[in-house]
Amino acid sequence: MIIAFIVLFLLWEFAVKLFGIKEYLLPPPSKIWSEFLKRQNTVMASAWTTMTEIIGGYLLAVAVSIPLAMAIAYSRFVENSIYPIIVFLQIIPKIAIAPLFIIWFGFGLFPKLLIVFLLCFFPIVVSSVAGFKSVDPDVMDFARSTGASPARMFFKIRLPQALPEIFTGLKIGAALSATAAVVAEFVASDRGLGYLLQQYNGQLETPMVFAIIVLLSLIGLAIYYLVEFVERLVIPWHVSQRPTEMTGL
Amino acid sequence: MRSESPSLPEAAGQPPPRQGTGVPVEISGIAQIFRRADLETRALERIDLSVKPGEFVAVVGPSGCGKSTLLKIIAGLLEPSSGTVGIAGKRVSGPHTDLGIVFQSPVLLDWRNILDNVLVQIDLRGGNPAAYRDKARTLLAKVGLAEFENRMPRELSGGMRQRTAIVRALIHEPPLLLMDEPFGALDALTREQMRIDLEKLWLERGQTTFFITHGISEAVALADRVIVMTPRPGRIERILEIDLPRPRHKDVITSRRFADYCDEITECFMRHGVIQY
Ligand SMILES: Nc1ncnc2c1ncn2[C@@H]1O[C@H](COP(=O)(O)OP(=O)(O)OP(=O)(O)O)[C@@H](O)[C@H]1O
Ligand SMILES: [Mg+2]
Repeated sequence: MIIAFIVLFLLWEFAVKLFGIKEYLLPPPSKIWSEFLKRQNTVMASAWTTMTEIIGGYLLAVAVSIPLAMAIAYSRFVENSIYPIIVFLQIIPKIAIAPLFIIWFGFGLFPKLLIVFLLCFFPIVVSSVAGFKSVDPDVMDFARSTGASPARMFFKIRLPQALPEIFTGLKIGAALSATAAVVAEFVASDRGLGYLLQQYNGQLETPMVFAIIVLLSLIGLAIYYLVEFVERLVIPWHVSQRPTEMTGL
Repeated sequence: MRSESPSLPEAAGQPPPRQGTGVPVEISGIAQIFRRADLETRALERIDLSVKPGEFVAVVGPSGCGKSTLLKIIAGLLEPSSGTVGIAGKRVSGPHTDLGIVFQSPVLLDWRNILDNVLVQIDLRGGNPAAYRDKARTLLAKVGLAEFENRMPRELSGGMRQRTAIVRALIHEPPLLLMDEPFGALDALTREQMRIDLEKLWLERGQTTFFITHGISEAVALADRVIVMTPRPGRIERILEIDLPRPRHKDVITSRRFADYCDEITECFMRHGVIQY
């Protein structure tokens, strides 16, 4: 994996030099790196801002979706009244609402958190509802025959059985979170990697554009693998039985 | 302790044998019709049966005649279309909990190892699983799973999973044991050993046992009474009192009278076209 990347970068570097490709079109990796080092203070400060938005919005989505999913899964009333509204709202392209949030909530952190939240929220809710509902009827029969209290039934049967699907949603959400934050910053912002990306793009500072794209990818990857790491800790019995597995970098 | 031949727990050398702990079961007028859209399945029709405390009842019948349905109704897991079940003099409404059930499939929890899958019986009942740890280990060893207590269910064969499920149904020493083809996934040798051990256990503890099987000789070998059911809609076709001495060792199993009982059941099935030559 790492070797493949090294080879790729070497080929890239070599090709750019060989064919004399202009730097503002496709800069060589060495140039990207040196430019990045020159401005790393600005870039890292922006990265921090963007990560705050990603992690904050994501955690907010997790905190809201899982209890909501429980309510939807276990209450017919909630399922019939609230779930259709959520599904309907999902159809609205959330990125299209982003400019509206600027009008409502200004330029600060909050509208960005909200957009990350919105994009992560739905996949987590849908997967978790499916998880909480996917109880094996035979397992439930067994559990009922023990006279288990509702709390025990939940923590010892329903929740463990739902966790694999909940984590599927958590991972989809994690993969979306970085994109969501950058889009939010595109729309209106005076800081963050998305803002910086637009600035450098406008000034044709292509090496910096590449540097930020790489950094954003690394942040996205890190968040995804962090969630997968937690998954391994929480449901090792399920992770190890998946037939094909994406191995970490 | 036998290591390779799996066997069911006897008293497991643990608590003193409890005689006469079985409860009576009264089944009256049970019928079950499954309705789905325009489809109607008449699974059971008028089942009446009175099971004495500590009695061992085996049920044989063709596939789909409603045996599993009847077991779920007795356990209170399924509400019958009509009729009532009484256990220990109390009418069953909702899941009855003072029992042990072995379902037709093992129904283990994927996220718990074998030992913890046995102990979940205690855990869900609000008991202290740690207090039953040694007993669970002894029972698992008796069914040949000593080295597997830390394995996860998916690492075990179908027969091993089913043996785990049997131990789970016994760990809390219930006064009523409902078993739905518990030996179905086992090979012939293991099956024979498990049968011998189940009888031994039953002789020691005396729990009322309701045992569903496809095996005619298995039913005769184990039961005080064999209930023969008709094809769907399931009715009780015959009730055979098995008057054979216990424990039913090799000499009993190979006796003339044993074969006669088996023949009687086979003929019953032939009359209904379940077995054709
Ligand atoms: N939940 C259900 N909904 C609809 N029909 C059902 C349901 N459960 C069972 N049946 C039907 O009831 C009949 C009896 O089923 P049951 O599982 O009790 O049979 P069985 O005697 O245990 O068969 P086997 O020996 O194959 O296990 C079958 O025809 C089955 O299709
Ligand atoms: Mg069945």
